[in-house]
Amino acid sequence: MTLARKQRLAAHAFTLGALVLWLVYSRIVPPYQMPGPAPVARDMVSFFADRLPLGQLLLSLGHVAAAIAVSFVLGVGIALIAHYLPVLRLLIYGRLTPFLNSFSGIGWTLLAVLWFGLNDVTVIFAVSAVLLPFALVNMREGLQSLDGELLEMAESFGRSRLRRFQKIVLPSLAPFMFATLRVSFGVSWKVALTAELFGGNGGLGYLVNVARQEINTAMIFAAIGLIVLFVHATDLYLLTPLQNHVFDRYRAL
Amino acid sequence: MSSTDTAPSERRAGAGDYLPGGGWLARLIADGAVAAALLAWWLASRALPDFVLPSPLKVGADLLTLFTSPALLKHTGASTARVVISVAIALAVGGGLAWLARAVPVTEGIVRERVLVFLNSFPSLGWAILAVIWFQVSTFSVVFVQVAILIPFCLVNLGEGLARIDEELLEMGRSFTRSRWRLLTRIALPLLMPYLVAALRISYGIGWKIALVSELFGADTGLGYLMIQAETVSNATRVFATCFAIVVLFTLGERLVIDPLARRFARPS
Repeated sequence: MTLARKQRLAAHAFTLGALVLWLVYSRIVPPYQMPGPAPVARDMVSFFADRLPLGQLLLSLGHVAAAIAVSFVLGVGIALIAHYLPVLRLLIYGRLTPFLNSFSGIGWTLLAVLWFGLNDVTVIFAVSAVLLPFALVNMREGLQSLDGELLEMAESFGRSRLRRFQKIVLPSLAPFMFATLRVSFGVSWKVALTAELFGGNGGLGYLVNVARQEINTAMIFAAIGLIVLFVHATDLYLLTPLQNHVFDRYRAL
Repeated sequence: MSSTDTAPSERRAGAGDYLPGGGWLARLIADGAVAAALLAWWLASRALPDFVLPSPLKVGADLLTLFTSPALLKHTGASTARVVISVAIALAVGGGLAWLARAVPVTEGIVRERVLVFLNSFPSLGWAILAVIWFQVSTFSVVFVQVAILIPFCLVNLGEGLARIDEELLEMGRSFTRSRWRLLTRIALPLLMPYLVAALRISYGIGWKIALVSELFGADTGLGYLMIQAETVSNATRVFATCFAIVVLFTLGERLVIDPLARRFARPS
């Protein structure tokens, strides 16, 4: 048996062992401490069967999508400004990014609640504020690695700045934009849960908060499990293949 | 945070001067904008009630009391101690897992495909809620949350370091001595140090970021507790002050401890 096979086998055995351990432990302690796999699975299925939880799930998806879009547009825009106006780079990368980076997400959420109240704006604002530094750092990396010689060559062929931007700059940045979206997607779910719990009037985080107050641990497990599965599956089956595709397409540059 | 890990980062030559130390104009603009932002904040705060936007002076004063008043210093100190303890535990556990995956190759799938994936995608808020249910309100509960969140970052960085340890160097070392202890302290550890420092830097940064979240439910001391208390009475000044306290503590630790360590053990290129 090859090592790779053994490793896979060991990993599956580990999953199985963890499930059994969970089952056994859930029999020993009261269900509010550790619900068994069966009730958790039932709650997860109910997410898709019932209209109400499905609506909350879609609402969370909407929050996440909106926040990713806002932070992506802002991040790319600000990074491009810094690129074409080097004199602003110290302000953007030396002041703004470190500040955004060290300001905590929960802080944004609580402040947003005071500013905007309990609604979608609060959630989207808080998640966007957390995502923005990630977008800035990634786009900076991309702009930093722009090939000066390639741009120079392009300059010798045509004078149109717009064409140069479309044909050279944007394609070179594509992999970094993709990396930005991918990182944002992973981070946004975790932050959205917090933001919805404290600042939302809907979404998975809201559902988790209700479950927490009712000490409905099975529901908490189900919501978390759903997020873990969803993030992991999207990453594995959608984003990774897409990213490879993007890299292949632009490798020539 | 993890953004730079996942981003493609083949830098080309000369990329280092993308952010120059800053000419006088760049500095003027950067610091001028910070001053302007503070001024704008101050002006806006005069027009708005305190629970929406407190003035920067009030926030500054409150921030100062977090570090001077004994009653509040207790909370600031508790948060700091928890972050430091959690980072230490996470480094030990993460390092142990990374070492296990290498020393016993069969377990690599378990560590990389199961433990890492699971911990990586588990939302921090989930840990915060579950910790209270499992361990009630206690320091243990807070440290548990932070360690659970930090382990994947330590695991990735230390795993990277272990993978880069030069087998040939170890081989050469073995021809000089048989003492495993000497091999470890003279060759393996010095080679590993840059990655240890990187793991320390990342987990320290994230540790502070999640310090507030981890103290929301499971603590009756700490800055996160202060913050949620302030929120319930719409005390925006205190919410701002706790956020800035985190920024200050994080920056202090990075400048005074981590940067010197990083200079001492610079990553060999």
